Amino acid sequence: MSVVVQTPREQTRARYPDDQGYVERDGVRVYYEVYGSGEPTVFLLPTWSIMHSRHWKMQIPYLARHARVLTFDGRGNGKSDRPEEVAAYAEEEHAADSLAVMDATGTDRAVIVSLSLGAQRALLLAAEHPERFARAVFICPSVSLGRPLPERVQYPFEDVHDADEGWAKYNRHYWLRDYRGFLEFFFSRMFTEQHSTKQIEDCIGWGLDTNPETLVATRLAITMGEEETRALCSRVCCPLLVIQGTADAITGESRGIALAEETGEELVLLEGSGHAPHVRDPSRSIFSSETSSRPRSRRGGHEAGRGASGRSSSAPRSGSGTRSGTLASPASSVSSIPTSRSTGWRSIP
Amino acid sequence: MDRRLAGAKRNRMTVAVGSPIEQTRARYPDEDGYVERDGVRVFYEVYGHGEPTVFLLPTWSIIHSRHWKLQIPYLARHFRVLTFDGRGSGKADRPAEVEAYTEGQFAADALAVLDATRTERAVVVGLSCGALWGTLLAADDPDRVEGAVFIGPAVPLAPPHPERAVHSFHERLDTDEGWAKYNRHYWVKHYEEFLEYFFGRIFTEPHSTKQIEDCVGWGLELTPETLIATEEALSLCGLESFRETCKRVRCPVLVLHGDEDAIRPLAQGAALAEATHGTLVTLEGSGHCPHARDPVKVNLLIREFVESMARRPT
Repeated sequence: MSVVVQTPREQTRARYPDDQGYVERDGVRVYYEVYGSGEPTVFLLPTWSIMHSRHWKMQIPYLARHARVLTFDGRGNGKSDRPEEVAAYAEEEHAADSLAVMDATGTDRAVIVSLSLGAQRALLLAAEHPERFARAVFICPSVSLGRPLPERVQYPFEDVHDADEGWAKYNRHYWLRDYRGFLEFFFSRMFTEQHSTKQIEDCIGWGLDTNPETLVATRLAITMGEEETRALCSRVCCPLLVIQGTADAITGESRGIALAEETGEELVLLEGSGHAPHVRDPSRSIFSSETSSRPRSRRGGHEAGRGASGRSSSAPRSGSGTRSGTLASPASSVSSIPTSRSTGWRSIP
Repeated sequence: MDRRLAGAKRNRMTVAVGSPIEQTRARYPDEDGYVERDGVRVFYEVYGHGEPTVFLLPTWSIIHSRHWKLQIPYLARHFRVLTFDGRGSGKADRPAEVEAYTEGQFAADALAVLDATRTERAVVVGLSCGALWGTLLAADDPDRVEGAVFIGPAVPLAPPHPERAVHSFHERLDTDEGWAKYNRHYWVKHYEEFLEYFFGRIFTEPHSTKQIEDCVGWGLELTPETLIATEEALSLCGLESFRETCKRVRCPVLVLHGDEDAIRPLAQGAALAEATHGTLVTLEGSGHCPHARDPVKVNLLIREFVESMARRPT
């Protein structure tokens, strides 16, 4: 007797959505999915449209056992439309899509979780719609705070360069010439951890689900500078958690640290993690997000003199003001990474 | 104290997610010890208390019993699991003589471990060369072996891959490309390079860097001289005597073999299943170590087989 056990050729999912659909704004449709029916709703925001919502695949099945999970493909990738105009990819458009998805799914209020560039739309949402966001988790936020990686500032995106080594590949002309080559480079920098070939392969595949022309448009739409970022930070009143990998080779650890500093909010540094710890170390990252149910703490002292508008907290207070969750790893240690404030850099994922 | 308690100037902590210096285990043995035969000690471990006992046999001594690490925690939830480091590997001794590494020696060690752990009967599971002593045990000690699972069996019942029959193991070669690395002179000079090549061929599946790294590390726990002795001993196992051994096997046999196995052809697994009247399960896309690369699939197949033992009329 002989039996053949087959390996599936197409990626299956650990969990399939309970509800899905499209919302349309100004002729642009985005595709959303809902998993589970618990409380609260965890809203996994889109990141830069170089990937679509499948990058949350290690979070969805787990979180949906404990909460209701909402996610959608950001315009420009996945099952969402790919408008041609740069203006269609403005952060305000992504934020408006997010609200439209919440409305379409009857979601009054949610915990938002963002990765990288998703931080910018998350800040917009949390600052401008405090009644709809109970908490915000930022994973390796790409915001215009802190310092950029030095190796990333030498090659302007729109110039023609002689070389196409390393970060010179982060260039419009190179993308149009060798899109896959760019994706391979970019995602190899995204996963600095050993044994990440599967994660890199997945991401390249998702990158190939869109095209270089669309990606150029999304890149040109990134305009949120330091001042605007600081202004948004000052208006956010829900509790935040910043999860940052110390070996992040896309934005560096400086951005995440600076966001936590700027808001006076909680920072968890994942030692040795790259730019996508939720993909490469999913158990640890989930653990972190799970323990973030705490009330908003005070602002950092150095910001005491800045504008205080919108600071009255509308977030529900849970607990006594001290942390109830723990990251009780014996290996835990308080990091003493020095932070410094630089100006004028725009964060680009 | 929780470092994230309020009061700190910044709620900041660092969580180490890098690889631990030493690999931790999902489950630690409930009992361990040594058995000695003719001055050679081997190290065994026992996990769990269920019924029956699943006996994870040593394979070629190039790796030790940690290669079962993805089976032990799962199987121990359902059965009692017994394993040991084969002579030449892990915490077992490394005798110098070739005669110390014949399949008969491994089978005798296995019996000694069964005795030392008061294990009357067990379902044996053997990988690659482990099928040689597993078959020997099943044939010669039918009262101790309830059933046998063989994964990627390395048995002389069908020809090897043609590319493995090109180069001599003993002679000095003028090339070290590909399987020419399977050569005693190359091992002595470039042991780690051999291990990297060999385990690269073991894991033909994509995304196997972790498994390869593990195995290379285990391979470095013995010397090329010891490995040469084991190789010389194994090459003594002949076709005729092994075919006779197979004929004496009466217990149920399950053979799992990857159809992409680059170490041992599927034909060897198929021939072993046929010779022992067992069942062949072909694992599509798998290489030589599906239990390390596709543990869930393999664990479920082992569990199903072991549970079918209990349902057999005695």
